[in-house]
Amino acid sequence: MTQRDDRPWDAWLRPDSVPDETSPVGGPRIRSVGELTRVVRDRLRGASELRDVWVEGEVGQVSVSAAGHAYLTLKDASAQLRCVIFRDERARIPFEPQTGLKVVVHGRIDVFEQQGAYQLYVDALQPAGYGDLALRLEALRAKLAAEGLFESARKRPLPDWPRTIGLATSETGAVLHDVVQVLRRRWPLVRVVFAPCLVQGDTAPATILGALRSLARWTDLGDGRAIDLLILARGGGSLEDLWPFNDERVVRAVAAFPRPVVVGVGHESDVTLADFAADVRAATPSVAAELAVPSRDDLSARLAALHRRSDALVAAAVGGRRRSLDTERRALDALRPAAVLAAERERLGLLLDRATDALTGRLARDQASLERLRARARVLVDIGVQDARAGISAAQASLAALSPFATLERGYAIVRRPDGSVVRAAASSGVGDALDVRLADGSLDVRVERVRDSTP
Amino acid sequence: MTDGLDAAPLTEAELAAMPFDAALAEYQAVVARLEAGGLPLELSIALYERGVALDGHCSRLLADAELRVQRLVEGSGGSAPTLIDLDPGDSA
Repeated sequence: MTQRDDRPWDAWLRPDSVPDETSPVGGPRIRSVGELTRVVRDRLRGASELRDVWVEGEVGQVSVSAAGHAYLTLKDASAQLRCVIFRDERARIPFEPQTGLKVVVHGRIDVFEQQGAYQLYVDALQPAGYGDLALRLEALRAKLAAEGLFESARKRPLPDWPRTIGLATSETGAVLHDVVQVLRRRWPLVRVVFAPCLVQGDTAPATILGALRSLARWTDLGDGRAIDLLILARGGGSLEDLWPFNDERVVRAVAAFPRPVVVGVGHESDVTLADFAADVRAATPSVAAELAVPSRDDLSARLAALHRRSDALVAAAVGGRRRSLDTERRALDALRPAAVLAAERERLGLLLDRATDALTGRLARDQASLERLRARARVLVDIGVQDARAGISAAQASLAALSPFATLERGYAIVRRPDGSVVRAAASSGVGDALDVRLADGSLDVRVERVRDSTP
Repeated sequence: MTDGLDAAPLTEAELAAMPFDAALAEYQAVVARLEAGGLPLELSIALYERGVALDGHCSRLLADAELRVQRLVEGSGGSAPTLIDLDPGDSA
C-alpha cells in the first residue's frame, strides 16, 4: 500500500467517513467466498476459448486418488497448470502420464470450488510428438461415443437376402475389383449399385458424403431394386490416408444411413471411426463383401440336403402306403364276404338239423303229443331262423367295417374287367378295354386310352 | 391348400417371378410339411412335385446368376442420378 492518503488510518472504520463509489447505497458489497468463487467459475465456463483446450507441457507431480482419479500438474518454464483425469477417462486413455514426460492434453478449464483452484479437466492425453491426428482422433472418438453413436444397441442386423447392394469406394484401385470379385463368386444373384468417391485427401469426405446421399435415394424404391445394404470400403493406408473415414461428417453419415452399413477400411489392424459407426465392421474390403451376402456353396449344399430329405420322405410315404395296402388285402382275403356267409350258413344249418333231429326223436317216442309237438317244433324252427338272421346281420356289420368300401373311402379304387375280375397289372389291359372303376360312392365306366407299364 | 400350403403345381411364370429366398423358404415349408406326415398320398406326391420344381428353380438361379454391377451417375443440374450398367470387364 504505497498510496498516499490524508485520512486517518482508521477512517474507513467510521461508517460516514468515506463514500464508496461501487456501493452508493451504503458500504462496500461484501460477498461470501463461495459467491465470489462461483462468479469466477461462471466467467471461466463462459469463456469459449477455455472449453476446448489443447495444451502441451511437462508432467509434474502425479497422484491417483482412491476413487481412481488422477491429479497432475503440467508445467513449463513459466507456469503450472493443475489437471484432473477422472477414472472413466483414465480407463479409456491408453497412455499413463508420468512425471517428467512431455505430453499434449485436451480438455476444458473449470473451477474446483472447494479448493478455489481452476484446473484442466482432461479427456485426451498423448505423449507430445505422438501426432496431432491421433489426438484429434481420440477427442472426436470420445465426443461421438458420448453421444452414443457407437452403441451396440444402434447396430442393425444385415439382411439375410440382399438383392441390391450399394457400394461406395474409389473408382480406381483394387477395392472395387476385389469387392465385385467376391460378390460374383459368392452370391451373383445380387445387384450392385456403385457410387464412386474419393477415399483420400481433403476433398474425400465431401465426395463420400455425396455418394452416400445418392445411394440413400435408392433405399426407398419399392420394387426390389432398392438398396438393402451399403458397403463403404477403402484399401489400407497410414492414419493420414485413412483420415477421411475419421471425418466427423462421414462418421455421422454412416451412422445415419437408412440401411445397414458394412465398413471395410484398410487392413486388419486399421480402425477408423467409420468402422465404429458401422453396423458391421469388416477387417478388409473383401471381408465386407463376404459378410454382406450369403454363400452360393452353402446354399447349394442346403438345397441338396432338402432334396435328399424330400426324396426320402416321399419314398417312405409311398412305401408305407404299399405295406398297409398289402396288410389290408390279406385281411380282406380272410374276410371275403362269400366265405363268411357260407361259414355262417353252415353253422346255422347244423343247428337246424340238430333241432329237427331232436324233435323228430321226441315225436317218435311220444306219438300222443304229435300234433302239439309239431306245432311247437315249427315255432322253435322259426326262432332258430330268426337267431340265424341276427347272426348274419352282425357278421355283415363287422364285415362292413373291414370291407373294401371302407378302404375306398380313403381314396383307393378297385378296377375290374366286365367279367368282375380285378385288374392288378397295367399290362393285363389293352387299349380300348372297357373297365369298371369302383369308388366309394359309385363307379365309373372307363375305357383304356393308353397303357403305361412302369414295372422296372 | 393344406395348412396354408399350396400344393398346386407351380407354373413357369410363378417360378420365374420367385426370388431365391422366397423359393427356398417355400421349399423348406414343403419339406417340413412332408416331414410332419399324416398327409393323404396324393397330397404327399403333389407337395413332393412342388418341392422338386422349387429345387430346380433355386438350383438354376444359383447356377445361372450373373452379377450385375451398375454405376451411379449424378444427373446434371440437380436432376436425379441415373444408373448405367458396368461391363463386367470394366471392374475386372
